Amino acid sequence: MSVSNLLENWSKVRHTHPVGDVPHEEYKWAMAIDLDACTGCNACSVACYAENNIAVVGKEKYAHGQAMHWMRIERYWDEDEREFPDQGAQFLPMMCQQCEAAPCETVCPVGATNHTADGLNSQVYNRCVGSRYCSANCPFKVRYFNWWDYPDQENAWPDEMKQQLNPDVTVRTKGVMEKCTFCVQRLTAAKNMARNEGRLVKDGEVQTACQQACPTNAISFGNLVDAESRVHKQWKQQQVELAEDAQAKDEYFTDLRGYRILEDLRAYPSVMYLERVRESAI
Amino acid sequence: MIENNFNRRDFLKVLGWGGAAVTLSGCGFTSVQDGTETVVSYVEPTEYALPGIGVYFNSTCAQCDAGCSITGRVREGRALKLEGNAASSINRGKMCGLGQAGVQAHYNPDRLREPMFKGQPVAWDKALGLIDEKVKTLKGDDVAFLTGGMSGHVKVLFKNYMDALGSKNHYVYEAVSPSVVRAANKKAYGVEAPRLRLDKAKAVVSFGADFLGAWVSPVHFSQQYAQFRKGNRPEGRGVLVQIEPKMTLTGANADRWIPLRPGTDGVLALGIIHALAKNGLSVPADVAAAVKDYAPERVSQETGVSVEQIGKLAALLKTHTPSLVLAGDAAEGYQHGSQNAAAIALLNRVLGNVGKTIEAPANVPFPQIAAQGGNRAALQALNGKLASGKVQMLFVHGANPVYTAPLSLKFKENLNKATFKVVFAHYMDETALQADLVLPLDSALEDWATAVPEYLPEGAQLNVQQPLMEKLHAGTRGTGDILLALLKQRRANEYGKFDDFYAYLRNAVVSIKGALGGGGKDEDTFWAETLSEGLVKLPGSGGNLSSKASAAGLHFPAVVEDAAYPLRLIPSVTANMRDGRNANQPWLQESPDPLTTIVWDSWVEIHPKTAAKLGIVEGDIVEVASKSGSIKAQAYLFPGIHPDAVSVPLGYGHEAMGRYAKGVGANAFAMLDAVSDQETGELAMNETRVKIGKTGQRIIVIKEEGVAGGKQAGKKIAARLASDKVDLSKEV
Repeated sequence: MSVSNLLENWSKVRHTHPVGDVPHEEYKWAMAIDLDACTGCNACSVACYAENNIAVVGKEKYAHGQAMHWMRIERYWDEDEREFPDQGAQFLPMMCQQCEAAPCETVCPVGATNHTADGLNSQVYNRCVGSRYCSANCPFKVRYFNWWDYPDQENAWPDEMKQQLNPDVTVRTKGVMEKCTFCVQRLTAAKNMARNEGRLVKDGEVQTACQQACPTNAISFGNLVDAESRVHKQWKQQQVELAEDAQAKDEYFTDLRGYRILEDLRAYPSVMYLERVRESAI
Repeated sequence: MIENNFNRRDFLKVLGWGGAAVTLSGCGFTSVQDGTETVVSYVEPTEYALPGIGVYFNSTCAQCDAGCSITGRVREGRALKLEGNAASSINRGKMCGLGQAGVQAHYNPDRLREPMFKGQPVAWDKALGLIDEKVKTLKGDDVAFLTGGMSGHVKVLFKNYMDALGSKNHYVYEAVSPSVVRAANKKAYGVEAPRLRLDKAKAVVSFGADFLGAWVSPVHFSQQYAQFRKGNRPEGRGVLVQIEPKMTLTGANADRWIPLRPGTDGVLALGIIHALAKNGLSVPADVAAAVKDYAPERVSQETGVSVEQIGKLAALLKTHTPSLVLAGDAAEGYQHGSQNAAAIALLNRVLGNVGKTIEAPANVPFPQIAAQGGNRAALQALNGKLASGKVQMLFVHGANPVYTAPLSLKFKENLNKATFKVVFAHYMDETALQADLVLPLDSALEDWATAVPEYLPEGAQLNVQQPLMEKLHAGTRGTGDILLALLKQRRANEYGKFDDFYAYLRNAVVSIKGALGGGGKDEDTFWAETLSEGLVKLPGSGGNLSSKASAAGLHFPAVVEDAAYPLRLIPSVTANMRDGRNANQPWLQESPDPLTTIVWDSWVEIHPKTAAKLGIVEGDIVEVASKSGSIKAQAYLFPGIHPDAVSVPLGYGHEAMGRYAKGVGANAFAMLDAVSDQETGELAMNETRVKIGKTGQRIIVIKEEGVAGGKQAGKKIAARLASDKVDLSKEV
């Protein structure tokens, strides 16, 4: 692609997210997480370690903020100064929100992170030079940098444990950034299989590792373009629009639970959360 | 098929794809590149090993006793990841973090690889010969067995070996188990493990049952909980109230979490019955008489729960029928733990829940393979016998009593009075270190077994555990194979015909195929189908349930304070660590505790009010001392705990076992006072009184939670709505 071509078609290249005249075709992967179902049990997080070859960093490196958990559970308390948190804690599974206009993408000096046609925020490991600008610019703090060569760290993968590594997923080296991919290796396999059969991926045919493990089915994942998918129906029912930075329903509806985190930053996340519900009568 | 129509062009295609795959996977860190492995073409491919394609085998999770069915992904002969098996009524295709970490038990670098006799490696023949020689010199009563909870055909072989030795000393021990509640259930309902139907309940009131975290069958209960919370089910969204002195994961998910003064669960349960009767619920005369002294004011004073809250609870339970009231670890861990559990069962009876949300479990048609749940009284009984010198030889399997026994029992000392100790072990753990002979076991992903879970959510089922891959270490053996070898020493006629445990197991299962619902199939088909499914659903009738919970004899002693030890220790059972047997799996160490978000260490939970009084801030290394021992650990200021209690997680503080477990945190088992429940004799886990003092050291607590300490800074990050402000009926 020549520079002139790039400049002439800039909006097309830049905006693979839907902006009016350029909607997603075929696929737009998205998620909905029901915080009323989520119990904060961490099964998703461990499943993610197992699927995506995430390094265990150990105590010392964890203390330095170098933990690699692509999927983490955040825990919040109420802030009304009551003596006891008598309505429980708030749990929030947090991973890359696969923003449509991701703040991390625009700052990458080498184009290592960019948007795919099916709506993922991709990270190209062998293009990454480790500037860490993307991490600094991420409002959700979900990018994780390889400060060490974890494959050589006895703590992460002693020889025996290397046999557990998933061959479908690259083991990252020192100096590159990594993050949740929506289990792109599973998506690719499912898309290829569907293409060989001359069709599109059906809802439920592909699951992310976190979704598959979740004991309460709090996570749903699928193709937002597919009107038959559960995730599409959930977004629609909750009246959350992907390409809006403020939802129209918020002005007059109060009885819907769907929301996106830090929506006003105009990153257009692909993950919708459903608010936790607490019984008012007890 | 491949041989028939394999032509040159196809061969080249395969070669091309294979070459591409090698190129793609060649980006560093392959063992081929390192020279530790050589490329060998698949001239004779291993059965089911398709290069580049994952194949799935069904088996059973062995990380805890819940008995979830798993599907292991195997590629190029290596087990990579465990998923849930959707065919199982227990986990229905789902997994918890603990189960996921099963692959790390298998690939663990610290696994034992060869038998050890007095610290020196020894060949298997020699090791088994040593046992043979020893048992010949002993009477049956001189030999004792300490095992974890067990079921299936391994249990059968254990029993048969004990019979062969003439030993009746089988101690089934689990350091963490709902054993008091089990006994109370037996009294109240006639069964130890009734089916609990959260999915049918409109309200669940749980007295410290952490059913979402580490209680009984958490993956199953989590699924029921998801049903229970659905706003569009006919019963409407269920309401969960959790009553406990230390907030568990379940407490953190409750609509109302009520911090109860430790040990007053029974008093509150009777207080609720009193309030229900006042509200017009018809209560049998004997129950009404028994609760007449439990007026809200008195109950409030004893339990610390406000009169208003008691009224709300009674109102909730009156309108939300059927409901379900649970008794868990927090209620049973006292001298009067049985009384607490009985009072809670009585509340269920008064509410009419028995038969509605508490149902009869399925009968297991073969009692010899049914689950035998472990308890804590078994350890105390064995300890007494060891102390009196009556045990010459001890076999230990599926337990680590040297680590889990409170120091006050002097178990380690007593253990060494036995002259020959045989420990079946995966790691050189604390108990294996004391053994004369250590027998290294296959991992659960290498071994054959069957299991019948103790808690059966639907019909009875026989789970099959089968190897997902070749053994990693030539020197380990399966439990079944070891037992079979030992049985051959004693009963060669009966067991000589079986080459290995696999042959025994296949024969044992196939011979009862009629009773397992495979009557019409030939043996090979039935066996192949069983292995393919990973489980057999046993036909059979449901059992019976009685409703006999009675108010007779309920008596709750007044809480006695101890001025020297003013605080109550609540040892917490966390979903990651439980009793510590999985502590050497790094995913579990690095997976933050959901409530404190702490990793790789123990902590002491203290209410901020109590901490302020004692001048303790987060990160202070404090000494928690009981009459029986003390530990040092970092303080964590935790609002979800009663101000009169402190809590320390169990499972940390190993002195051996492996690189990820050893020296991480402190062992809270060690400092427990040896106080028992008066009816069952079970060690009362929550009866230890402690004092707490600063050591002067302070560290930075290593945790996931940011410096803001779990605050959202006014942003809508993790949001919440009140139930009267939301319409759940139209949700997808």
